[in-house]
Amino acid sequence: MIPYQYNLRSIWVRRVTAIITVLGVALVTAVLAAALMLAAGVKKSVSVGGQDDVAIIMRAGATGELESGVDESAVGLVLSQPGLAQENGKPIGGGEIVVVVALDKLGAIGFSNVNMRGYSDQSLKLRPNLKLVEGALPKPGTDEAMVGRGILGRFKGLTLGDQISVRKNRPLRIVGVFEDGGSGAESEIWADVVTVRAAFGRQSGVSVVRARLASAGGIEAFRAVIESDKRLGLKVKSEPDFLAAQSEGLSKFLTIMGFIVSLFFSLGAIIGATITMHAAVAHRTREIGTLRALGFSRYAILMGFLMEALVMTVTGGAIGLLAALALSSTKISMMNPATWSELVFALAPSTQAFVTAGLFSVGMGLLGGFLPAVRASRISPLAALRS
Amino acid sequence: MNLPGLAVRNIYRNPVRLALTVAGVAVALLTFVTLRTAVMSWDEAKNYTLKDRLVTRHKVTFVMDLPKNYADDVRDLKGADGKPLIRASTFLNWFGGKDPAHENDFFATIAADHTTFLTVYDEIKIPDDQLKAFNETRNGAVVGDLLAAKFNWKVGDNVTLESPIFGARENGEPWAFKIVGLYSTTSKAVDRLTFYFRWDYMNDGVRAEAKDRVGWIASRSVDAARAAEVTAAIDKRFDDADTQTLAQDEATFFQGFMGMVSSVLAIMSYLSYIILAILGLILANAISMSVRERTNEYASMKAIGFRAKTLASLILTESTLIALAGAIPGVILSYLIVDVALGDFLEYNLANFFPVFRVKFWTYAEAVAAATVIGLFAGIVPALTVARLNVVENLRRVA
Amino acid sequence: MSAEQSKSVGSAISIKGVVKEFTRGGQTLRVLDSLDLHVPEGSFEALMGPSGSGKSTLLNLIAGLDKPTSGEITVAGARLDKMSDAEITAWRAANVGIVFQSYNLLPVLTALENVELPLLLHKMTSAERKKRAQIALDIVGLSDRMGHYPRMLSGGQEQRVAIARAIVNDPKVIIGDEPTGDLDRNSADEILKLFEQLNRELGKTIIMVTHDPEAAERATVIRRLNKGVLA
Repeated sequence: MIPYQYNLRSIWVRRVTAIITVLGVALVTAVLAAALMLAAGVKKSVSVGGQDDVAIIMRAGATGELESGVDESAVGLVLSQPGLAQENGKPIGGGEIVVVVALDKLGAIGFSNVNMRGYSDQSLKLRPNLKLVEGALPKPGTDEAMVGRGILGRFKGLTLGDQISVRKNRPLRIVGVFEDGGSGAESEIWADVVTVRAAFGRQSGVSVVRARLASAGGIEAFRAVIESDKRLGLKVKSEPDFLAAQSEGLSKFLTIMGFIVSLFFSLGAIIGATITMHAAVAHRTREIGTLRALGFSRYAILMGFLMEALVMTVTGGAIGLLAALALSSTKISMMNPATWSELVFALAPSTQAFVTAGLFSVGMGLLGGFLPAVRASRISPLAALRS
Repeated sequence: MNLPGLAVRNIYRNPVRLALTVAGVAVALLTFVTLRTAVMSWDEAKNYTLKDRLVTRHKVTFVMDLPKNYADDVRDLKGADGKPLIRASTFLNWFGGKDPAHENDFFATIAADHTTFLTVYDEIKIPDDQLKAFNETRNGAVVGDLLAAKFNWKVGDNVTLESPIFGARENGEPWAFKIVGLYSTTSKAVDRLTFYFRWDYMNDGVRAEAKDRVGWIASRSVDAARAAEVTAAIDKRFDDADTQTLAQDEATFFQGFMGMVSSVLAIMSYLSYIILAILGLILANAISMSVRERTNEYASMKAIGFRAKTLASLILTESTLIALAGAIPGVILSYLIVDVALGDFLEYNLANFFPVFRVKFWTYAEAVAAATVIGLFAGIVPALTVARLNVVENLRRVA
Repeated sequence: MSAEQSKSVGSAISIKGVVKEFTRGGQTLRVLDSLDLHVPEGSFEALMGPSGSGKSTLLNLIAGLDKPTSGEITVAGARLDKMSDAEITAWRAANVGIVFQSYNLLPVLTALENVELPLLLHKMTSAERKKRAQIALDIVGLSDRMGHYPRMLSGGQEQRVAIARAIVNDPKVIIGDEPTGDLDRNSADEILKLFEQLNRELGKTIIMVTHDPEAAERATVIRRLNKGVLA
């Protein structure tokens, strides 16, 4: 093998072009890593806090809470089934209603939809991480609401003490701000279930029923009971399963977009690496000839130049990953097509994102360095004798 | 021979590098044009909206509907002078239908009042005999010609849809439709991928509490210039009612809709700038390398008596020309791939998201201008290096 | 430039008390020490000396490529030590022709175009440029190689193109930096013959640095430089 110092010094000699190449690779790697961190952020924020022993009961054909509807009569029936955890002789669980309200965005044109959830005291028991960070909990039966910390201040009316109108002369007053361990609920407005049902004319039922199972393993038996009753037309999902499905579309979209964009972007970086390596080889024809004359094999030359390309792109990859990491606290607000509403989430650094983007930078080095390296390996030992 | 001529010859000196650079610039510009077009297409789609077409919906949320009598009230709305403000009006419902045979394909299913629908959406063209059949068939549906082609539907086909919003029909039967017509459009304001069926058929089948409710009301005002006045009049009409409305002209409605995609558009905008940065890096790399290899030539030209300024402009000419050399295939590539191939594909298959996906002339101009300016900037550092070149040292290095 | 016009009429190059120092790694090295040199117009002089004697430095000073630490340098009537870089550059374009050891032709230009290159610095029509370049190539005996690129020429031919380039502006002074250093004996002889011809027939003042005693013999005056001092 050629001593690695030989190739490292060559990079140093051509440092301007090498730095440019490193920067190009860094940009591409940062873009890919950021896209994957976005996708991971969606997944994380939507699925965080999902509990194995919480079941969501919804209409059979529905893919989300918004589409789903459960009749009032069915709610009691569902909660009376065996297999649910009990407290003071009553099952832990209750109906929740989910609607979206169109609110004007602050700091951007247009409006977007925000999830509004009508909840009961039962809902709070099913979300152990939810806690008030400012203001007060809405009093049951009033037109008071609380807003998730993620969405706070991003829409008109969504600040503590402000109000949003849902019905003539019946504005909802924002009295509290809550957090829920970074979950999707932090992108929602919560108000009393009775208030929301009244405001939206949904007296006949709720969107879904959430309930705590006596044990996580009991879900199959519970599902069998609910789903076997075709008249109910309901299905049962565990909370983690349900949440995973809610993030799937958006995170898939972001991942695919990230790859497509990065692929196009990487062509530029690969070409940059090729230009650099091509020049490195062209300039050292005589040196390479000498190395061959000294007895280094074609393979050794090929590997030497591939290593040289890899050192550059991996350095660029590392810089890109650091840049992406620096973005990791950035919050993004985006519409989640699965819920038709805005989701606020942070770019989440994940091992998978880093490994993928890192490997991508290695790939760029291999692709960019390959042709010049092959060219170098084909240089004849006679080149040492020519000037 | 002149100095620009020398710059041109220098460009051809290293064909491999030239080819790589041109390819790099072309691909970067293709990416730039694609991203810009995606961003602009939303803006562009707005140009197809009609200022005199008004949409009246529930003030708070799209998931809630309006009483059907609101549609009559809007239609009959009069101005302060007692003259009508609305010349045509219809009402529609989002059905959310899914075809079990095409589980993963999204398409819009809308229930529309067949008697008035075409007066508001006059861009929709249905052959007379098919329109007659639509009027005579209670479960009839007219389907966009592109959607029909996608699912291989023909006039006379029976289609059964499921609706998670409304469930099964009240009588327990499935939602069965008969395709009686295919529509095309004369404007991109309306997509050709929607499944329209009769509102009265939907109203028959929904549960009691959902009966006689409409999702939104679409109307044509008597005068496009009075859009603001008419929409205000509509909202005022229902201001005291339990359910309030938000009436907007189509352009404003569309603008508001942008809020739902604004973050995606912003990200695409950022990306389009990043690709320009990468473009700059490719050019800077190529030009700085070329100049570096030719250091002694520039030194001897300086020794002959060429001024620093002349040599610097020689290098800037070269870098700008390389950028242009890449910009031209980049624009051609963009036309073929984005405008022709991708544009057709998206407009036919994703018209709900990209009703228009065509590269604007300005985007091409922007791409060429960006490449030229970046080419010029990429040459600055090498040009300065050569301008400051120490002749003695660099001639020595050669000898 | 007229203010710097020298009184020393009859001398192409006049150097008085020139000192040149370089600072390398914190140490100051005196390469030329109070050097005086007078080259009359129409002289053909060879400058010899061991490596490091300062002969290339002296040549660079005469060509205006470098500036002295102190002392006066007058070449073709101009006080180089008092001129700005821009002035010297313009002066060089009109008054000096330089011939390098390694020819330094631009590989992308033909022989004719390489000779035309310095003329781009002067206002003239392209036809006139071409004519003058042809004449220069004719003088060096390469009128049949005008369309050839440097890579198609032998070393001696390349150097003759370089000489044509050096004389195309009709400068008073021609400076050669080891002009035969890269050439074989025969080619070197041809180049030296050309120098003699330029000196005799066109009256050019020529000063060249060389290692080669045989080349030096062809000059009318041989000067030896040792440790920054002329012998």
